[in-house]
Amino acid sequence: MFSRVLVAILLAALFSCTGSIGQKGENRGPPAVDPLLAVESAARRLTQAELDNTLRDLLGEDSAPASRLLNEDEFRPFDNDYTIQQASDALITSLEALAEEVARNVVDDPARRDALVPCTPSSRGDEACFRQFLDLFLPRALRRAVTPADVNAYLPLLAFASEDNAAVENDFYTAVELAINAAIQDPELLYRVEKGVPGSTPGLYQLSGYEIANRMSYLLWSTMPDDALFAAAAAGALETPQGRRAEALRMLDDPKARTQLHRFHAMWLGYRSIPHSAELVAAFNRETSALIDRVVLDEPGSYLRLFTMNETFVDDALADHYSLPRPDGGEGWVSYEGTGRAGILGHGALLAAFSKFEDTSPTQRGILVRTRFMCESVPAPPPTVDVDQPPQGAMDALCKYDRYAEHRDQSSSCAGCHSLVDPIGFGLENYDVAGRFREHDDGVPECIIDGSGEIVSVGNFNGPAELSQLLVENDYIDACAVQQFLTFALGRPTTTYEADMQQEMVDAFRAGQHDFKGLITDFVASDRFARRAQERL
Amino acid sequence: MALKLKRRAVLQGVAGTAIALPFLECMLPTGRSTAQGPTRRYAIMLAGQALGGDNYAKNSSRVDGQNITENGHYIADTNYGRGYTLTTPLLPLQGMEDDFMMVSNLAIPFNASSADGSAVPSGGAYRDFHGGGCSPLLSGTRSTEARYTCNGITSDQLIAELNDGQTTHKSLVVRAQPAFYVSGYSFSGRQYISYGPGGGNSGRIEAQASPEVAYRSLFQGFVPDNDEDAARFDFEMRARRSVLDLVLEKRTQLVDKVGVADQQRLERHFDEIRDLENRIAALPPIASGACVVPSDPGADPPIGGDHDGGGSGSVTPGSGYSDEHARARLFADMIHMAFVCDLTRAASLQLTAFQSHMNVRPIADGLGNLPGTVRPARWASVAGDLHEVGHNGDPNNRGQIPSAGLLGWHISHYAYLIDKLRNTPEADGNALDNTVIVFTAEAGHGLQLNDASSQNQTHSVENMVLLVAGHAPGLSPGEHINGNRAHPATVLITAMQAAGYQGNTLGDVSL
Repeated sequence: MFSRVLVAILLAALFSCTGSIGQKGENRGPPAVDPLLAVESAARRLTQAELDNTLRDLLGEDSAPASRLLNEDEFRPFDNDYTIQQASDALITSLEALAEEVARNVVDDPARRDALVPCTPSSRGDEACFRQFLDLFLPRALRRAVTPADVNAYLPLLAFASEDNAAVENDFYTAVELAINAAIQDPELLYRVEKGVPGSTPGLYQLSGYEIANRMSYLLWSTMPDDALFAAAAAGALETPQGRRAEALRMLDDPKARTQLHRFHAMWLGYRSIPHSAELVAAFNRETSALIDRVVLDEPGSYLRLFTMNETFVDDALADHYSLPRPDGGEGWVSYEGTGRAGILGHGALLAAFSKFEDTSPTQRGILVRTRFMCESVPAPPPTVDVDQPPQGAMDALCKYDRYAEHRDQSSSCAGCHSLVDPIGFGLENYDVAGRFREHDDGVPECIIDGSGEIVSVGNFNGPAELSQLLVENDYIDACAVQQFLTFALGRPTTTYEADMQQEMVDAFRAGQHDFKGLITDFVASDRFARRAQERL
Repeated sequence: MALKLKRRAVLQGVAGTAIALPFLECMLPTGRSTAQGPTRRYAIMLAGQALGGDNYAKNSSRVDGQNITENGHYIADTNYGRGYTLTTPLLPLQGMEDDFMMVSNLAIPFNASSADGSAVPSGGAYRDFHGGGCSPLLSGTRSTEARYTCNGITSDQLIAELNDGQTTHKSLVVRAQPAFYVSGYSFSGRQYISYGPGGGNSGRIEAQASPEVAYRSLFQGFVPDNDEDAARFDFEMRARRSVLDLVLEKRTQLVDKVGVADQQRLERHFDEIRDLENRIAALPPIASGACVVPSDPGADPPIGGDHDGGGSGSVTPGSGYSDEHARARLFADMIHMAFVCDLTRAASLQLTAFQSHMNVRPIADGLGNLPGTVRPARWASVAGDLHEVGHNGDPNNRGQIPSAGLLGWHISHYAYLIDKLRNTPEADGNALDNTVIVFTAEAGHGLQLNDASSQNQTHSVENMVLLVAGHAPGLSPGEHINGNRAHPATVLITAMQAAGYQGNTLGDVSL
């Protein structure tokens, strides 16, 4: 892996590409704590998706208020990069509006209201009942054990319930509404704040059971812990590797874990939203989700099957779309036999992503493979190139391959970088923007597509199946999948100082026959997961 | 300070329409002078993308597959002075010719012989247009890398600083385009046009992209007139403040126990909550005369799905559009009323993002039908996203006319705000007399910034055009002025001075 990075660096240096090469730089110097022991973490604000899920699970709110009222998260490629999060006036005013709306929705719905308030108030200002509600609600809202002080802080809100005011129709639930409102705006709800208890090494902290529970639920489910996980936290069960592993396995059985895996892959591989009709998009999503479910959860075995699976899950319409045989019974797995496809790279979802100028872009697809499957940086084009225009040189050429000639011109500065990506994309050119096989350029029957591709210094291939083979055999997929998983789990890119820690995970993944579920549970069970290192400024 | 009346406000009519009370002079908003002298309100609107299409001269177009050579579609030709004919993009300003001035032939300097960040001249643009044009245009500071960040304070925020403490809201920063729209990618800085002192990441100001939230933030604080509503309002405000107090009280407890980096993060969050609380605690605004609580816009239009940024074919109907037309108008309404009610004196409205991937089809199809817009004489719609229009994404509709039509859509919102202000009586005249509104697009059209050689390019920082509306001394409404390749920031300085700014610089640029 490292030698390939070196090749890329050399190639780039030779041809004066601009931009940075290799793994993400880290200019803050080595961390105070060895990442093998504990990894730096910070207060991470919930993403739109996480907040919506949390409000759904805490309060039964189904309206996805965060997706409506908060500014959209940046996808880099994941939505949870905390290093770019910054509180703002827009955020705070949106949150206040959200909190007020959601609290009102809860109290206006007797079923939801009664699910939260375990007693019938005897009067508007029934403090005992209010306390009972808070004792039940606050630990779940703040996602930790609460103290009397935490509860007492809310008591002044009761005054708004008991106030005698002819202009207002207030009652006991007015205070409940205000309490819910205040909890939603509480940074302890909105952020995953980790403190931990100082350990023997300076800068190293041991996390509490609840902090571990939060890590687990947001990693595996993108939502708050459920009652069972809270109970495990309270019982101290999450402080042992065995305890964490047992809970993680239980959580991976929950449908929320499936949704999370689908989301993770969609963000990672760039197909989280695809530009086709709703029916086709839904079919693509079913196809790709089915493969992920099967490979990671339902059929124990190697994660690499995500890239090598020789069948795919389609209904009749999607089978026709791909010119595949129809499945028995209207929906099911059909063989890729005789096609050039295998695994996820043969899916329309992936083939639809990353195109340009109304057609597939070999360059963009090559970038997709380099950066998202091989985890290599591709240098930015020099500023003097306007990437929004098609290659100028051979613009009149009839065939697309010829129009990209300038990118291959060794005498220009283009070839150095483009040779890293274009040949990969051209190896996928037989598959159009909707993932259909084509013999020739769209609309130009004379331009037969050769479909031969190359990963420079690695090997040649033709089509998605052979590309997947090349990536798997050369140990790219597993290492890159681990890196992407870590980026998502940590909420930031890994640093060069964390390379050893990352390699340890890759080695274990390989030793474990690429069991992805095992990767996840090992990660959760690791000692590191129960610790944090103080973030440097 | 003008006399404070008993809080009289708008009576909410049965259908939610607002009934204004008769205007009395003593109801005028207070304190419109600062220590430095009288100030006017200042707003800036930005249109993402293009004044023209790549490789099409300013008089060249293709409409519905037909090539056309015809003048009058590029926003500014060489008819300087007064009485010039409105070009296609300016058509929404019909009837308002004497309310705005146009300065064209503006240019941002760049180094044609070196693409290094260190070689960028003062106030100049880094050679990669993606990001390079932003900082010099809006803050007069040079860009040195391909990043959409302003390296200094922007004009609207300079005016906000000038008026700091005089109004409840320091500024109003809003954006009509709510989503990035390209699968697999993100805004990455294209969604910011307002930066506070110092600029950069810490100075950047997040725009409010939800009209519903902006409305609530501006107008929820008005005291109703009748006693019962006022009593309920009072209760709600007290409750609201109690909730925020409760949250703020967590500050010490939370911040003390975390590391320094987290302290900064959380302190910033609590600071914003405290600012909100201060705004609520301030004297509620007075609705009187022209200051009227607008009707509640209701829920935001749904946000449209992504496409792949790949050009016309990928921008399917329904994707990439969130009714930005309605959103822009709502925000213009709010800016108007926020100004008239003196809730703020500085505003920015980013209509579309830099390099916007908003699907233009609904707008292009609707020109002439969408309120305030004008359908160009030759028009056959355009397929694609806004970015692609400038880069000739639609094979049958390219070049000047398609760009002009969509630029005209952006300008329709500018015209809408101007019209509302000039029809609002104020003191001896109207509200526009005391307001300065700037309109700019992200680019010019001409020599390409990237390669410094191609002509008739969208990625250009020459032939830039700014519009400035208002009648303040220093402005020249009704006139088309030849900028003679001056830096666009010089026009911003002139506009800011008209709003009361005493200086003559913006970033590296001086008048």
